[in-house]
Amino acid sequence: MATIEVQRQLLPILDSPNQGARFYNPDLPSTEPFVPGHRTCAGCGPSIQYRMTSKAAGDNTILVGPTGCMYVANSSYLCTPYNVPWAHTQIGSAGSFTAGVAAAYEAMIRKGKWKGAYPNIICEAGDGSASDIGLASISGALYRNHDCLIICYDNEQYANTGIQASSRTPYGGMTTFSPPGPMVPEAKTLFPKDLARMMAAGHPHCYVATASVGYPIDLMNKVRKGLNHKGAAYLMVYTPCQKGFVYETPRSIDLGRLVVECGLYPMWEWNPETRAYNYSFRPASMRPVSEYLKLQGRFGHLHAEHIAKLQKFANEQWRMMGVELPEALIQAADAKNLVNMGSAAEAEEVAQTV
Amino acid sequence: MSTKGTRIPDWLTVPFAGITPAPSQEKGQDLFPTGNWRAIRPVYRDKLPPCNNACGTNEKIQGYLDLVKRGKYLDAYALIKEDMPFPSVTGRVCYHPCEQACNRGKYDEAISIRAVERFLGDLGQALARDVVKAGKPNGKKVAVVGSGPAGHSAAYQLARLGYQVTILEKSPKAGGLNRGGIPDWVLPAHVLDREIERLVELGITIKPNVEVGKDVTWDDLKKNYDACVLAVGLTEPNSVRAEGENKDGVLYGLPFLRDIGMGTSKVKLGARVAVIGGGNTAIDCAREALRQGAVEVTMITVEANPEEMPASPEDLHDMLEEGVDLLHGRAMTAVLGNGKVEALQLHSARFSGAINASPITVDREVPAERFAVDNVIVAVGQRASLGWLPDEFKTERGTIQIDRFGRLGDTNFFAAGDVVQLGSGQPLMVVNAVGDGKRVAFNLDKILRGEPLQTRTIPVDVIFDLNRMNMTYFPHFPRVQQDLLPPTTRRKTQDEVIQAFSEQQAVEEASRCFSCGTCNACDNCYLVCPEPCIVRDVRSNGLYKILVDYCKGCRVCIEECPTGCLEGVPELDFDTGVVRMDTAFAISPGLHGRQAEELRNLGNRPAKNI
Repeated sequence: MATIEVQRQLLPILDSPNQGARFYNPDLPSTEPFVPGHRTCAGCGPSIQYRMTSKAAGDNTILVGPTGCMYVANSSYLCTPYNVPWAHTQIGSAGSFTAGVAAAYEAMIRKGKWKGAYPNIICEAGDGSASDIGLASISGALYRNHDCLIICYDNEQYANTGIQASSRTPYGGMTTFSPPGPMVPEAKTLFPKDLARMMAAGHPHCYVATASVGYPIDLMNKVRKGLNHKGAAYLMVYTPCQKGFVYETPRSIDLGRLVVECGLYPMWEWNPETRAYNYSFRPASMRPVSEYLKLQGRFGHLHAEHIAKLQKFANEQWRMMGVELPEALIQAADAKNLVNMGSAAEAEEVAQTV
Repeated sequence: MSTKGTRIPDWLTVPFAGITPAPSQEKGQDLFPTGNWRAIRPVYRDKLPPCNNACGTNEKIQGYLDLVKRGKYLDAYALIKEDMPFPSVTGRVCYHPCEQACNRGKYDEAISIRAVERFLGDLGQALARDVVKAGKPNGKKVAVVGSGPAGHSAAYQLARLGYQVTILEKSPKAGGLNRGGIPDWVLPAHVLDREIERLVELGITIKPNVEVGKDVTWDDLKKNYDACVLAVGLTEPNSVRAEGENKDGVLYGLPFLRDIGMGTSKVKLGARVAVIGGGNTAIDCAREALRQGAVEVTMITVEANPEEMPASPEDLHDMLEEGVDLLHGRAMTAVLGNGKVEALQLHSARFSGAINASPITVDREVPAERFAVDNVIVAVGQRASLGWLPDEFKTERGTIQIDRFGRLGDTNFFAAGDVVQLGSGQPLMVVNAVGDGKRVAFNLDKILRGEPLQTRTIPVDVIFDLNRMNMTYFPHFPRVQQDLLPPTTRRKTQDEVIQAFSEQQAVEEASRCFSCGTCNACDNCYLVCPEPCIVRDVRSNGLYKILVDYCKGCRVCIEECPTGCLEGVPELDFDTGVVRMDTAFAISPGLHGRQAEELRNLGNRPAKNI
């Protein structure tokens, strides 16, 4: 039997926007698979992620949208803001649907019914779909190694139904399912599920990475790496939700940077060839978690001991990435040292010393 | 909020499913014109960077740095030539007020703007033909008296406007202060010669050895030319009014430099030289004295410490490196010696701050010091020589009386440069004279055409506050330093002390520019828009568009604009009750056009009975 040549797109990796002293984004593709006129909230993080992802993927792309914000808010009255083929699927079947699309193209190419390059098949699942309801089907698609990219846009809650807690909701995060009160002052008592690491550990043949909207070029490059990888790839992207996190809309990108700088969202890549984590990403500065928490209304109820607990969590993440911790961050992990850090000005001073 | 009882106008009812148009890149998904959610609209509004504002001639500094970044050197040179006739000269001699104003100075180190300007100037010198062309001749003749910075600038701008310009120069060579006041080791003569050639290439006639008042009179100028620009500068040195100042060996700063610059110097300096004065000319004199053979040079200033000296700190540093001594808090009260200088009598002195007769208070109680020298160079400022000028146009400061447009009364005479700026509070710098010459040339043009002069200045928004920009995008980077000749070798030669930037260095230094308040096509707004409703066809400054039909006013682009060019404009003014939605929607017809009409009529509706 003759081997079938599968033509792959192999998208080029973009340059860093910081060229020496100069800040200048690399030239981006001119096509726009995601167009305006959708009903996401102003400053929507997942929407920013959608835009960057589709920009990186280009026109030869098929998008799969399981139920979530990016389905509910974007596709109504038989109208969507997608300029490329897009299909909705149920929240639990994100992985199986995507696997089906990939398998269909594989079959069509095998039978000679599809002549062009293999399309970029991207599943855009929210964290509800990716970490709770659709976890099994996504794990199955990854395990069977279908040539697709599954993205979890992680807004840390079920947002389109009105902010309910998901397994990705961070410790201390207020949602309608985890309200703070006299019995549970910290609102959510559990730390979030380490979803990306779970996928990397469980499916070591896949390309797995975490990214944030605060680093657009890094995010777009990870999307391209995932698409260029022959086989399944998984990407978890931090996308702030203005309604759920309760912050001022202009801060969307800023939060994406801060969450990495505070160590709450470690950025790494899993290399399927060497079977090793790549922890070489370093943000411009390290900050105490209070810098990140103080911008968001959902953490407004936290006490010093809760902030210290989150700082301890962040410090563990830094250690895991092999970063030497500054004294100020170790100090901040003790609630005693946080008692006087009530005001924003005092928290800012800690950032200076870091 | 209940919608019960709300009347939905026909034009807002939703079309039926199945007939909705497909989304497209140009039109978006026009079923949901989300622009009407917006309370604040982002607009691109370029502000004035502080460097452009501080520059005496308002060079478009941010503009040419941005062009250098992108390797468009010729465009950058053409841009600089709009305001500055000789970037190769100011790139060497300017005291760079732009660098003092640079916002990067508050962040790490100011941009080395002067060095980039010199790079561009040298590039322009190497061109066979200049990028600037003379304007279409308009048949009018203008005389420019003096070929220093102000005269040079005025003549250059007038030639570009199409005037037939004649420069009258007193000295045998054109150049004025550029030639006579600036030593060769700062500005080599061949650089200036090339710039003068450029003037001749523009069709300007230069008449050397013509002195106003001697070879040509006020009435001649009035009769022979349509207009005249007086840029005669300050030619007469001030004295310190010390006893015995007429002795042999007492020299004056500017004539000392001028004679060396013109090549007519007959001065032989002794081993020990004292320089009186603490300004930039005094520093140049002290450094020139070393190169003229002096062994020990001492600078005597009234100022109590180096910080108070009205001189450029960099030049002061370079001077000290070359081995000049400083003696502070002294004033020269007498020159001692038998016909020739042998020593100076120094009294301790300080500035009293008085603005009347003499601002210097000499302490006569303390016994005087004797300071042995062979020569003394007095460099305490200059004044104008205006014997030829009608008395009605003289001021009590010894300068020319002009109105705010540089005009002398109702005549067609104009004045520019040091001769009008002395004592006006403006520091006397080459670049300020160039700016003055440029403005006067434009005013002259308007008056000869009979156009009204602009009496009101447009308010400009200069961006000084780093908080108006997003500093997270700019990592700290050290300034690229210009090489200097080592002090031991340079103090005896006329070679240029400060070395030029290489191409790579110039690009590297220009890359540090923040482009304060001005779009530099970094694409960041385009990339972070969640809609995405920021579009562009060509990636270039100012060619970004915002689709206001869809912009929800989230302000992410405003927050993330690195340069602070994007601004938020409220759509609804809650204080005055003014609805600006119509302006937001006026761009496209259709749904929004009608909606805007409805909104415009809101005010005419009768008040609701609640």
